[in-house]
Parts: sequence; C-alpha cells; structure tokens
Amino acid sequence: MEALIELLKSFPFLFVGAWETLKLTAFSVGIGLILGTFIGMGRLSKIKLINYPCTAYVEFLRGTPLLVQISIIYFGLPQLGIQLAPYPAAITALGLNSGAYIAEIVRAGIQSIPRGQYEAARSLGLTHWQTMRYIILPQAFRNILPALGNEFITLTKDSSLASVIGVSELMRSGQFIISRTFQTFSIYFGIAFIYFIMTFVISRIVRYIERRMATA
Amino acid sequence: MNTNNGSINEMSKLNNSSEKIIIKIENLVKRFGKLEVLKGINLLVKKGETIVIIGPSGGGKSTLLRCINKLEEYQGGKIYLDGVDIDKYDVNQLRTRIGMVFQQFNLFPHMNVLENLILAPTKVKKMPREQAIEKAKALLSRVGLLDKIDAYPEQLSGGQKQRVAIARALMMDPEIMLFDEPTSALDPELVGEVLDVMKDLARSGMTMLVVTHEMGFARDVADRIVFISQGVVEEEGPPEEILRNPKKPRTREFLRRILE
Repeated sequence: MEALIELLKSFPFLFVGAWETLKLTAFSVGIGLILGTFIGMGRLSKIKLINYPCTAYVEFLRGTPLLVQISIIYFGLPQLGIQLAPYPAAITALGLNSGAYIAEIVRAGIQSIPRGQYEAARSLGLTHWQTMRYIILPQAFRNILPALGNEFITLTKDSSLASVIGVSELMRSGQFIISRTFQTFSIYFGIAFIYFIMTFVISRIVRYIERRMATA
Repeated sequence: MNTNNGSINEMSKLNNSSEKIIIKIENLVKRFGKLEVLKGINLLVKKGETIVIIGPSGGGKSTLLRCINKLEEYQGGKIYLDGVDIDKYDVNQLRTRIGMVFQQFNLFPHMNVLENLILAPTKVKKMPREQAIEKAKALLSRVGLLDKIDAYPEQLSGGQKQRVAIARALMMDPEIMLFDEPTSALDPELVGEVLDVMKDLARSGMTMLVVTHEMGFARDVADRIVFISQGVVEEEGPPEEILRNPKKPRTREFLRRILE
C-alpha cells in the first residue's frame, strides 16, 4: 500500500520528464528536418563537391551508434575546447542523427516525384530552387509524411539515451524516483507506458494530417 | 475566338510569314552515352510558321524539341534564336520565350488550375498577382475552361488537362510553342478538343513546332511537315507534297504504315 502511494506521488515527476522528452524530441526533429531537407537534396546533386560530403554524412551517422555520437559530442568535444551543456549536447546529437535519416527519407521523396514535374516547371523558366520549393518539395513532403512520422516516433524513443549525459527527460526522471523508492518494476513499467502513450498519440496525429492532406 | 478575329489573324499570319527566321538549327548532334540520337539536324523555322514533325518513334523527334529549350544538352551543332546562339542566353530567360506542352500534361497536382497558371508569371516575371489572375482568366476562357479555374488537375479529363497545360505555357507570352506529342496520352474522343485549341493558336500567328502522329492536323494546319528518321531530317516540305507525294522510300514506308 505504501509502495503504491509512493508510486502515485512520483507520477508528477514522470510527467515533467515526459514533457522534457517531448521538447527534446521536437527540437531535434526540427533540426533534423532542416538538415535532412538540404542534405537529402544534396545527395541528388550532380555536383560531386556537394554530393560526396552529403553521402558521407548520411553513411557515417547511420553507421554509428547514437549512444557513441552523444558521447562524442558531450564527452569528446570538450577536449577540443567545445563544451556543451547536457541539454544542447543532446539536441545537437539527436538533431544531427535524425538529419541523416530524414535526408534519406527526403531523397526518396524527391525521387518519387515524376521527372516531368521538374521539367514542366523548368520549361516555364523557374529556377532549380524555385522548382524545388514550389513544385517538388511540397509534393514530396506529402508522400513522405508517414516515413517522417516513423522517424518522429523513433526519435522520441531514442531521446531516452540523453539520460546518460544527465538530461532530465523521462528516463532520467524515472531513474531518480527509483533511486529514492527502489520500485524498479513499477517505475520502469510506468516509464514504458508513458513512452507508449506519447508515440501512440504522435502516430495518430500523423495519420490525421495524412488524411487531411489526402483530401486537400 | 470568333470568326471575325479569325480572319484578322489569317491576315496577320500572312504578314508574319515574311521570311523572318526565328529559329535556326545547325548540324545538331545529341548522344545518350554511345547512342547517337540526333546525327546532324538542320532546320529553319520562320516566325508564325507551324511545323509538324513526324517520324518513327525513337527517331529523335522529342529529343529535338527538348534541345531547343535546353531540357537536353547536346554535343554538337548550334541552335539560334533570333540569330543568337541559345547558349548565349540565360537558360531561364530562354525558357520564358519558348513554351512547351508535354505528352503527360505535367500539371502540378498540388495546385488548382489558377495556381498552375499564375505560378511562373508571378515568380519568374514578377507579374503582380492581380494582373496574373486576369491573364489566367482570359487564357482559360480562350481554351474554354474558365469554369474549371478552381478545379484540381485530378478532377479534369485528359483533354481538359492538356488545354490547361497549353494555357499555362501561354501565360509566359512565349514567342514559340513546342508540342511534344500533345494528344498521344489522350482517349481518342478527347483528341479533337486539344487539336482545336492548337489550330486556333496556329491561326493566331504563333510559331509552333508540333511532334504528333495526327496526320489530319498536319494536313490542315501545318505550313511544313518535317520527317525525321534515324536522327536526320529525311524529307521536308508542304503537307500536300509530303503526304501525297513523298520522295524518300523511308517517308513512303512510314506514311503507308501510319495511314492504313
């Protein structure tokens, strides 16, 4: 009984942590989207000086563990004189990481648009950038929305890794409570449940937007 | 377009064919890797002329059109617009002077008809939005689709899509229009409405290069028919000459197959 009361009392802390997790994820996805859009376009460039670095970026960030990337940015960079606080370090690492995955999504999205769309726009005198902005990316975005939703969900879960560098997001908040209450099973289960609610809601929202855009 | 206008346009067309050469193509060579698609094309286009380009598929007809507005790069020869090598023009500037209509229409599906029309004028020519809308309405009524101004491309038939695509190209006030098999993707009963718009355009004095298999259109509208086969201009001349009395065996063979 006492354990249950202790558990209920700890829930507000978990919700604060959950809120932090959402913020962390949203910022990271924001960075990832901007980065991913440009790198995704860069991957399709015929200019090697643009194409190769973008490809290398994607390959490296997808080919190394996120935990290692977080460690490099938080523990490694200070040795080079760049010291980031836990929260900015986490956003940087997660943003750079999701940028690589989103770049691949964007690349596939652009490639899914028929070549004729690009040619029609260019034949009217629009520049490459105008064509991307007004014709290709709006259509690509609609096509890749489900994949972007998945990426958002993955990132929500992966943001729990930020706990290892001391960001007080959901996972770390839970660990705090456990260190006070020793209620390992119920608290970890509670954490899992809150993550599940978050990802479930996100997937519903994405599906809703998808339907809205399909009828537009 | 009413008949009065039509006769005025006929006259202006006669005046226009005052031998002013608007496009000159000289020894044009285009390769895709090792495959040589155009093997030295020569062609003169006079202002106000309607040229219909015919020939077997894979012969280089579409490629030729696409070289003129630089959708394709070419490896040899020169193309002149108004006597100036097109390489000398800014490519986007060049393209505003040359309208193109595609086989697959290529309307922008995420925009309605009006937005399809006004995008390029407002973004490329910086035309004020109000003015672009007025122009769009005028052109849509010309192609008979003013009532579809708010429709999205998916709500239109193939013939309507192609008429919108023609209006979209005309929004830029091009001096030349290129048509790349504009009716080949259409159901047979929708071909006529598109050809009618093109006929109207030809009568109004527009310079047109049309790749098509519509021999009726070629006979009625073309000032000249150009037969392209295996990457060269095999034969060219007025429609009655080419269609009734082709000189080259390849032309005869092609016409026999397509007309039977």
